[in-house]
Amino acid sequence: MEGFGPKIILELPGGILITETVVNTWIIMVLLSIFSIIATRRLEKVPRGLQNVIELLVDGINKLTIQTMGEDKKSFAPYIGTLLLFIACANLAGLFGLRPPTADINTTLGLALMTFCLIHGNGMRRKGVLTYLKGFTQPIPVMLPLNIISEIATPISLSFRLFGNITGGLIMMSLFYSALAAFSTKLGINIPVLQAAIPSVFHLYFDLFAGILQSFIFSMLTMVFVSGAMD
Amino acid sequence: MEDANFIIRFLNWLMSFDRKVLILAASAIGAGLAMIAGIGPGIGQGYAAGKGAEAVGMNPKAGKQATMVMLLGAAVAETSGILALVVALILLFGNPIITQEGAVLVLAASAIGAGISMITGVGPGIGQGYAAGKGAEAAARRPQYQSNIIRAMLLGQAVAQSTGIYALIIALVLMFANPLIKLM
Repeated sequence: MEGFGPKIILELPGGILITETVVNTWIIMVLLSIFSIIATRRLEKVPRGLQNVIELLVDGINKLTIQTMGEDKKSFAPYIGTLLLFIACANLAGLFGLRPPTADINTTLGLALMTFCLIHGNGMRRKGVLTYLKGFTQPIPVMLPLNIISEIATPISLSFRLFGNITGGLIMMSLFYSALAAFSTKLGINIPVLQAAIPSVFHLYFDLFAGILQSFIFSMLTMVFVSGAMD
Repeated sequence: MEDANFIIRFLNWLMSFDRKVLILAASAIGAGLAMIAGIGPGIGQGYAAGKGAEAVGMNPKAGKQATMVMLLGAAVAETSGILALVVALILLFGNPIITQEGAVLVLAASAIGAGISMITGVGPGIGQGYAAGKGAEAAARRPQYQSNIIRAMLLGQAVAQSTGIYALIIALVLMFANPLIKLM
């Protein structure tokens, strides 16, 4: 998409493009890794300082997973926690002037395809391949094409829900900033005074509220779909 | 025969205009049509507000919890209005259709089509608002389960958004990666 698409930073031989999305994903990966290493370096029996916060976070994610998926699927908690942290950080990147990696359909479709593989992989592992595939012909065999279409629609709606919300916010914010800039030049002020405080309310809704909400919704839907395929 | 003549005369009359003028005019219609989606969030949020007021009246002690659920739900119900606004603003300020190659009638129709497709937002808007209202009512009835109510409400609202998201996909495809031009 011209205009609102991610900028291409360099092109590797073989036509591999390194875009803003890739670079920002790397930055988030590095930050999250460093954070995890620092937070878990000196773990003590009686938590102190940062360890309190981390224990609260891990405990919250464990509880959320158990509540949503059931006690027997507790082993999904690390994946769900990683998903939640990554998407939340990616959505909030807009606050720090980085382009959110989730405003690129490649990122969100990749995440949704991971969920898709988890749904069907775990469904087959739990129920056996044949029994699981037979489930698609329920309640009547005529439903088979409809069931397949609805399974394919799952990753599409998952990825576009995240992409649409974050890209929508990104486009709104960039248009809003350019409108403020045009307004201040019209007033004859060269210093960007208007851009200082006014957009913060919109950042609150588009980045903070929508970002956290969408990361929560993505992880919740992943949990619901995976546990639905397994039960 | 009279009707067919009229259509052909109309199309000929349209073709007498400049290429750019036609696309810009169609974009204006498209932007206006897209904003019809605002009906949905309007009705939905109104319903949510009504239910919220009822909930607070029913159990004033849990007023804070009910109001919070209502506001959260209403904010999510706003999504389809915002998506429609994004499509309308792209058509107005960052029009990608104007630089595309291809028959002018197809491009102009695509701009209008992108706007019409966003009208879908009426459905998710009303549905999500209904969910927000019911959530507020439930929170007033059993304030101790507020977090569970919020979780169920948000999950259901996210699924209710799906058709609106599909409409957004079609609108974006029509504007940025029009497959119809390649068919000619």
